[in-house]
Order: sequence, then structure tokens, then C-alpha cells
Amino acid sequence: MVALRAALLSVLLTVPCVCANTPAPPIVHRFHQNHLAMGTEFTLDLYAPDQALASEVAAQAFDEIDRLEALLSNYRPASELSRIGREAAAHPVITDPETFHFLERSLFWSRESDGAFDITVGPVLRAWGFFFHSGRIPSSSELVALRPRVGWQHIHLDPGTRAVSFMTRQPMELDPGSIGKGFAIDAVIAILREQGITSAFLSAGNSTLYGLGAPPGAFGWPVHVPDPHHPGQPAATILLHDTSLSTGACTEKFFVHNGHRYCHIFDPRTLSPAEGMLQTSVIAPSATDSDALSTVVFVLDPQATRYLLEHTPETRALLFGQPPDHEACLAINWEGSPCTSAKPSPHKDLPL
Amino acid sequence: MIARRLFLQGLSATAITAGLAPEISAQEAASQAETEAARQIAPSADSSPLRVGIIGPGSRGKELVRNLLRVPGVRIVAAADVYPPRFDQLNQVCGYTVPSHTDYRALLDRKDLDAIVVATPLGLHASHVIPALQSGRHVYGEKTMAYTVDQARDIAAAAKVSNRIYQVGHQYRYSPWIRAAIARVKAGEIGNVTHILGYWNRNNDWRRPVPTADPSGHLERLINWRLYHEWSLGLIAELGSHHMDIANWIFGSAPTTALASGSICCYHDGRETDDNVQVVLSYPAGRRFIFTSMTDNAKQGDQLWLYGTKGSLNVTLEDATFFYEPRQIVKAPTNGKGEEKGVTTSASYRPEGEMPYRGPGKPLTIANPEDATTIAIRAFVHCVRTNTQPIANADVGLGSALGVIHANQALREKKEVAIPLIST
Repeated sequence: MVALRAALLSVLLTVPCVCANTPAPPIVHRFHQNHLAMGTEFTLDLYAPDQALASEVAAQAFDEIDRLEALLSNYRPASELSRIGREAAAHPVITDPETFHFLERSLFWSRESDGAFDITVGPVLRAWGFFFHSGRIPSSSELVALRPRVGWQHIHLDPGTRAVSFMTRQPMELDPGSIGKGFAIDAVIAILREQGITSAFLSAGNSTLYGLGAPPGAFGWPVHVPDPHHPGQPAATILLHDTSLSTGACTEKFFVHNGHRYCHIFDPRTLSPAEGMLQTSVIAPSATDSDALSTVVFVLDPQATRYLLEHTPETRALLFGQPPDHEACLAINWEGSPCTSAKPSPHKDLPL
Repeated sequence: MIARRLFLQGLSATAITAGLAPEISAQEAASQAETEAARQIAPSADSSPLRVGIIGPGSRGKELVRNLLRVPGVRIVAAADVYPPRFDQLNQVCGYTVPSHTDYRALLDRKDLDAIVVATPLGLHASHVIPALQSGRHVYGEKTMAYTVDQARDIAAAAKVSNRIYQVGHQYRYSPWIRAAIARVKAGEIGNVTHILGYWNRNNDWRRPVPTADPSGHLERLINWRLYHEWSLGLIAELGSHHMDIANWIFGSAPTTALASGSICCYHDGRETDDNVQVVLSYPAGRRFIFTSMTDNAKQGDQLWLYGTKGSLNVTLEDATFFYEPRQIVKAPTNGKGEEKGVTTSASYRPEGEMPYRGPGKPLTIANPEDATTIAIRAFVHCVRTNTQPIANADVGLGSALGVIHANQALREKKEVAIPLIST
């Protein structure tokens, strides 16, 4: 049994002061709502004084998620990202600052990770059958043919004019799948703050999470990080307080061929599924960043991950790999010692 | 005065034929109109500077600004609003500080504006759009065009007199899939369209949070203006006006009568406008448009159903799908020799015979299904730059406004009201 370890992740460590002259805080109740969007289920928990306010704030929050899905979805031909994907090969496409910022941040992580993160990787997933739940191994000639349509370095952003151009003159599919949910969560958290909400927890299908403030009387929102080597057992429990956590895992979406597990998380540099990693969890102040980084560290080798995170302030990671190529458990800047008890599973129940 | 039948076609045959030689047929004129519409809708490489001001950068206003900033050459140079927090929000959308005014007249006094977007509460449209046109600026005005018929006519007159572009925010007119679907409907694909049903259902109280203490209720009425009669015509205007515009477009006419009902059945929170409405608009030849909206169950969402004698068309915010009625008996072809060829017997099962008999429908496929608002805004800039009459012009705006305003009158008076033929 792996021991539970609690780590407080907050810059606000002060214990609430109950003073004689301080007015009593308003009585708040916990409210909860679900919402299907971006191919997953978002859940919002928040503390508010009454149902009416909670309802209005939740409606705003989910309207914002829907707005961003309409802006970014690669499944929607009318989205701004789809428009750019269609047109930026033929001519520079001027886009709005929000979409431009989204692309800038996406390319930032592509640069920082030397291409381990890439929003143009969609056609590769398609070739491997991941869009239609029919996994297959494409031929090398198929993959070579995709090269001109894949590659973040082919996207040119001109901040002066907010113009997006594809240097290969080939249309590209821009897939927000590894960063869009985090982008949406950051936008919603900004709205919650604007509306005076000080305690809320927002989850995008449990893969990207944000803890705003803390529940009354607590220091943060508890999140359990599972140990994929020991299914059903948590490797760590952390408290999110004004920060986000994202997890990437190969435990839900994959296919097995000849006893080998092919994961839906891709290494854009090889045009093949990432190998050797089982699960990554990254904590960062921005959900956009933690969402992207959970993919980045899934793809990078552990040394490169360590170098990247040690040069990225306020980020922490807990990685579970498959020995011998990867360490069974690797904690980077993670509080506590979650890896001391994490060992490779004695059973090869997860083919790699 | 133009005939009701030809009224409200947007870039209509009448508009195109005005000033042309009389020998040009209505069909040719319609074809020219379609060509001009395609020109407005297409992306343009023109990046000549266009300086835009906005009156009312609220939630819809900010969305219009996002779309404006996707058009090469456009810069937002000024904003006016009576609610100061909007300015910071607008600056975030733009990525730079937009000069702000708490009085729209100060914005109109600026010398550095080419066009103005008006996205204020409905009851204020006329008092912002008309001075903006009179100041010599082109105007993109949100729907519904105006709160009263007289105000709508005054807006149309101001656009005419000032010789400025006025485009109303009926962006569905620009949606590629809606245009393509309606072209097929007009070509007879589903026969004679006799009924159109429009749904717009939601499951929320339609409120926006009032962020600070508001003992006087001033902020409540400002932020939740849609819930109060002073500036709002309720769900019929805010949601139904889009569907009424499409009904006018398909039927090629303004409605002739309106029936409406509504109530507050769920949100007893001091609001004045109904939280559910039902409208029946009549059109020439007995055709009907039926609109229903409720705010406590979102099952149908936002969609239109067009029912014709040969089939149906379902239009949503994302797609369009055709369905076909069971075929009726037709004269059988013969081989000329009077001989029966006979049939080959087999099992009766056919996959296409599975319920429902009408099949899953045939989705419309088009090459560039862009967002309707993105196109509408780009088309507005095109019209300003080329001094071209927009697709969603004052006629289009007035047509929808007639339905909205008279449906509200019918709702208030609890009786069917006649809609007079009024032109711009």
C-alpha cells in the first residue's frame, strides 16, 4: 500500500484568523454542475451564498467553455481554428488576439519541448486510426506522405499583424486536444474570479483540474494521483490551491497489436505513439500550461523533462514509466516522496 | 411601395434591378444578386485601414469585436458604454487600450472613425444607430433592428439619407450551410414549403450576475436589460428574430398576421419579460411560421425545421440535413412492347428499410463552413470598402422587426394582430 502523502500547493499558507472585530464570513453552500463539451465532461464545484448566484455563475462558466469550443474545435468546420487550418496555406490569415495567443502559447511549448508538443499532429493520429477507434499501424510511406502537413515549425505567426501562415503552403489540421481544455479552464477561472467566487474546483474530464481558493476550512482541493503500477491505489494526494494539475495517461485510449500497446499520445518527431510512459501529472499555475506539459513530459525522455521543468518556474511533475527504458516513478519538484513506494508492477498487465 | 412578395429578400431582385435596363429578367437579377452575395461572403486580401468604434461592448459586442479583429486592416479605435467595467474587458479582447467614452456622443464627435458597431440594448438601438449614421459613419447594428416599427423605419431612412452602409446583425443570412440549403429549397428540393418551425430552448434563467451591491436595482436593469420591458422585447426579439428572418427569406415575404402567447412559469424573480413564448406568424397563401422558446429545458436547442410537400430540412447552428417524404405514386415507364419483365424473388430485408422509414437524412456538405458571424462582419467591412449594399440590409432588418414587434403586441393584447405592409 502506497502511503498517502499530502502536499499543500499554495502561496497562501495563512490560517484563517477568527478575530472578535472581524465580521463573520457569509454562509456559503457548495454547488455542483456537469457540462458536456470538448469531447469530455466538465464539472464545476463552487461555494456561493445562494442557488441564484451559483446558477448564474455556472451558466457563465459553461457558456465560456462552449464559446471556446466553438472557437477552437477541430471537429467543427466553422471554428476559427478550422478556418485558419483551411486558409493559412493560401494566404496569411488575420485572427483575433485570443486565438493568436492560443497559437502563440501552443508554439511556445513546441519550441520549449523541441517538438514533443505539436498541435499539427492530427493527421498522424488519423493515420493510426485513433479518430475512429480502429487502431492500425500505417506504412512508413503513409507517414512520409504526411510530413508536409505536420510540423509546428511550418506555422509562422506575425505578432505585428496577428497573421498566421503555413510555410509549406499545405492546409494543416490544428488539433487543440492537448491544450484546449486547459485554455478553457483558465478562461473560466478568470470569470469566476471576476464574479467574486473565491472557492471553486473545475475539472475537464478529470484530466485537467483547477482548484480556485479552497473549500471552507480547508487548505486546498484534494486530488488523488493514481499509481498505474498498482491500479486502485493512489500514489499521492495533493491539495490544489490557486493552481492546476493535468494528467496524461495511456491507460484509457490505446490499441494493442501483437502484444504491444500503442498509445494515443504521439511523439510528433517520429510520427509514432510515445513509448515507455504510462502516466504523467503536471502541476502549474496555468491550466493551459499544465495541460500542454502533461503531454510534453509524456513524450520527452526523463532527462529532457527534468531539464525543462527545472527551468520552468512553479511546475512540478510526477511521472510513471515502464522500466527498463523509463523509471517506474519519477518526481520532479514534487513535494513529499511519492516514488519511494512506487515500484513496477510484478505483473505485465499493461503491455508496452 | 414594393410588393410584399418581393419584400425582404436582402440583396433582392428589386434592389438589383433598380437602375438596370428593364429587359433584365427577375431570374437574371436574382443570379446577379447571388453573385454579389458570394463576393461579400468571400475572404478578401484588402487590408486597407478601417477604424471602428463600438457602442456597447458587452458580451455580444465583444464577440463582434473579436470577429472584426479577424479582418485585415481593422482597428478598434474607440468604445462607449455606460458601464465602465466593459472597457477593461474590451481591452483584453483587443490586446491594446481602446480609448473609452461614457457618453456615446463623445464617441460620435471623434474625427478618427470610419464605422461604428452598435450592440446596445434593443430599446436603445435607434437612439444610437441613427446619430451614428447621421455622423457620416457606416453602421453595423445588432438585431433586432429596433424596438418600434417607426424606429426601424427611421433607421432605414437615416441610412438612405446619409448614403452610409447599414447592416443589421442577422448573421444567419451569411451562414454558408444555411445559404446552400436554402438555395436547394428554393430550387424545389423539398417541394412547396408550407410550414417552418423554429425552436430556441435553453435551460438557464437568462440572467447575468450583478457583481456589486445594487440597492437601487440600477445595475440589475442595466446588466439584465433583457428581462425588463423598458429596453427589451424578450425572447421573441433576442432569439426569435433570427428565425423570423429566415422564415421571411424562405417565404419571400413579410408576415401578414401575428399570434403569440407567453408566461413566466419558472423564474419568478421580478422579471417582466416572459420565460417562455409561443408565436405563430402567417404568410401569404396560408403558410405558417411557428416559434417556440422556453428557458427551463434545452432539449431542442436552437434549430429550424422547414416542412415542404416533398421533404423537410433541419437547420442548426452547425449543419443542415435534408429528409424526404415517402414518394407518391407516379406514372410507370413501359418498355413499349407491353411485356411484363417479371421480378426476381428474394428476402425482404433491406438495411434502408429500417425504422425510421425516412432514413437518417442527408447532411448538406459544403467546402467552407465558416462561422456566420465571422462572415457577416467580414462582409460588412467589404461593403464599407466597396460601398456595396449589404445582404442583411435595412429591408431584412425591418422584415424581422415587423414579426418581432407585432408578435409582442399580440402577446400583450392576447389577440391576433394584422401586420401592415410597410417598406423602407
